[in-house]
Amino acid sequence: MIRRKVKIINKLGLHARASSKLTQLACTFSSEIFLIKDNDKVNAKSIMEVLMLAASKNTVISLEATGVDEKEAITSIESLFTNYFGEGD
Amino acid sequence: MSPFNIHGVSVSNGIAIGKAHLISNALLEVVRYHIIEKEIPNEVKRLTGAINDVRKDLLKIKKQLQKNSSEEFSAFIDTHLMILVDKNFSEKPKIIIREDSCNAEWALKKQMDIFVRKFEKIKDEYIKERKNDVIQVVERILKVLLGHPRQTSQINNESSSILVAHDISPADALQFKKHNYAAFLTDMGGSTSHTAILARSLNIPSIVALQNARNLIKNNEQIIVDGNQGIVIVNPSKYILEEYQVRQNLWGIEQKKLSKIKNIKCKTLNNEKIELLANIEVPSDIASVKENGASGIGLFRTEFLFMNRKDLPNEEEQFEIYKSVTKSMSGKTVVIRTLDSGADKLTSADTTISSNPALGLRAIRLCLSEPQLFNIQLRAILKASQFGKIKILIPMLSSLSELRQTKLLIERAKKSLSNEKTLYDKNIKIGGMIEVPAVAINAEVFAQELDFLSIGTNDLIQYTLAIDRTDDRVSHLYNSLHPAILKLINITIKAGNKHNKEVSICGEMAGDSKLTKLLLGMGLKHFSMHPSRILSVKKQVLNSNTQKLATLSTKVLKAKESEIIETLINKINQ
Repeated sequence: MIRRKVKIINKLGLHARASSKLTQLACTFSSEIFLIKDNDKVNAKSIMEVLMLAASKNTVISLEATGVDEKEAITSIESLFTNYFGEGD
Repeated sequence: MSPFNIHGVSVSNGIAIGKAHLISNALLEVVRYHIIEKEIPNEVKRLTGAINDVRKDLLKIKKQLQKNSSEEFSAFIDTHLMILVDKNFSEKPKIIIREDSCNAEWALKKQMDIFVRKFEKIKDEYIKERKNDVIQVVERILKVLLGHPRQTSQINNESSSILVAHDISPADALQFKKHNYAAFLTDMGGSTSHTAILARSLNIPSIVALQNARNLIKNNEQIIVDGNQGIVIVNPSKYILEEYQVRQNLWGIEQKKLSKIKNIKCKTLNNEKIELLANIEVPSDIASVKENGASGIGLFRTEFLFMNRKDLPNEEEQFEIYKSVTKSMSGKTVVIRTLDSGADKLTSADTTISSNPALGLRAIRLCLSEPQLFNIQLRAILKASQFGKIKILIPMLSSLSELRQTKLLIERAKKSLSNEKTLYDKNIKIGGMIEVPAVAINAEVFAQELDFLSIGTNDLIQYTLAIDRTDDRVSHLYNSLHPAILKLINITIKAGNKHNKEVSICGEMAGDSKLTKLLLGMGLKHFSMHPSRILSVKKQVLNSNTQKLATLSTKVLKAKESEIIETLINKINQ
């Protein structure tokens, strides 16, 4: 299992489009992937759970991946966050 | 039935009279009933089937959208599709069916309510709104379960039906486009909603934010939609109906009359030539520029080139677009405004978010801090200038040093093109947007250094009155007739006239035909506006005598309050 902290830096936080991208990406890995914010732990492969996490800008969340491709999973998801979800906002 | 009126926000003008066509709100129809033990597997199957059907529908819509390349809508559909296949969304209702021995509709609604309650607790307004996506997906499934028509193809194609809905989702919007509705009415929405965009593109009246209209209006009830005033009249009396039939005819005649003045020379009664130009956002707007007889393009916004994409447009891509617009205007003026957006729109640029974007790193400030990006755009514009009459317009200038830096960069771009032996218009005119109050006050200084001035009234008002127009709580304070605004416009026009430089207005004030005479009286000779406004402004110009209006305008400029200004303007227009 790997855990890594990321900060949400895009303007709108985990809004619909960003959540869609995150979920789509998470689904490409076989590892179990979770997002953790305070006491909430949600499955990154479920758009409903990701949306409901309500993570807005400047929130710090933890990524957690367990499985054969956990390294790749964490790295690619982390870069999605640092690249503003490819939207530049 | 007794008549009643509902007031809303008009987002598209015109008058329509017709029968209400209610778009069902499936959620209201859901009732609970008991499912016997041995029927439960069938009930689960029914739900699975419905979800599959909706999935197929959405995929079909997505395919259509890709053909029409509407990326914005397509992203919405993607989110809907993902919600649909989410196990939290689709599996839990099945458990509810088994546990509560209830019908699929009820189970689905119960699960949705749980989601909606959770969303309601979210503080972030934007994410909170996502509950609507969940509701829209549930609505779609319910319609299948309840046996409602999902495609709107069964709707009669009569041009006298008026669509009444709680809200129009992007997927719906696309389908409605094919039907000849006479008007759109929705409970929700604002002037930038899908409903508004759709209605304006179809040129039919539309009123939104009607709150509870969907519940108050019944199917097939007769309604009058007055899109000019934002009023819906349900079950009108005979007298009112006759009155509106007259008004509708007059509106139609008015529109026809306007189309007749299209080819008349645009001169005032005292023979002064007035130039009416068009604002465009994308090259395809050219069609309506020509339809309305604009004498050129007074404002070509270039932001579209930079939006909805991950990379930046290169020189070649920009050049091709500027060239095609310029060529299609065959020698008429095309004023190209350099990039006027904030850093947040650009992936490669510095994307630190300022807390006050309207006052932050945007427009010319951004371009000067990203000289490479700016150089690409300048070179593309200059290269296109060999194909027609292009002018460059610099947005959001606030000091002379910015202007000088900009001119230096333009000179450099010219030089590099000369070195490459690439053709361009060596005498290309450079103008500045007057939208920062500091520049309007100092207009004379800028008039001496620029070839033309263009007043962007929308931002000028926002900056002068310190009003954020997008903030509902203060937007009512936004007032184009504030004495200070008229003074700043007057200073700018006088400065331009004194130094023999063209002055135009390219904000919304230029397209408001109620203000045409006032502005003519103040000495304005160039107006740039949304193409659809040109003919009604032209009608005012043809009936004006600028000498007489000058005296009246002086009076307006002396008034201390906007209420008095309004009364005076009404007198001028009589």
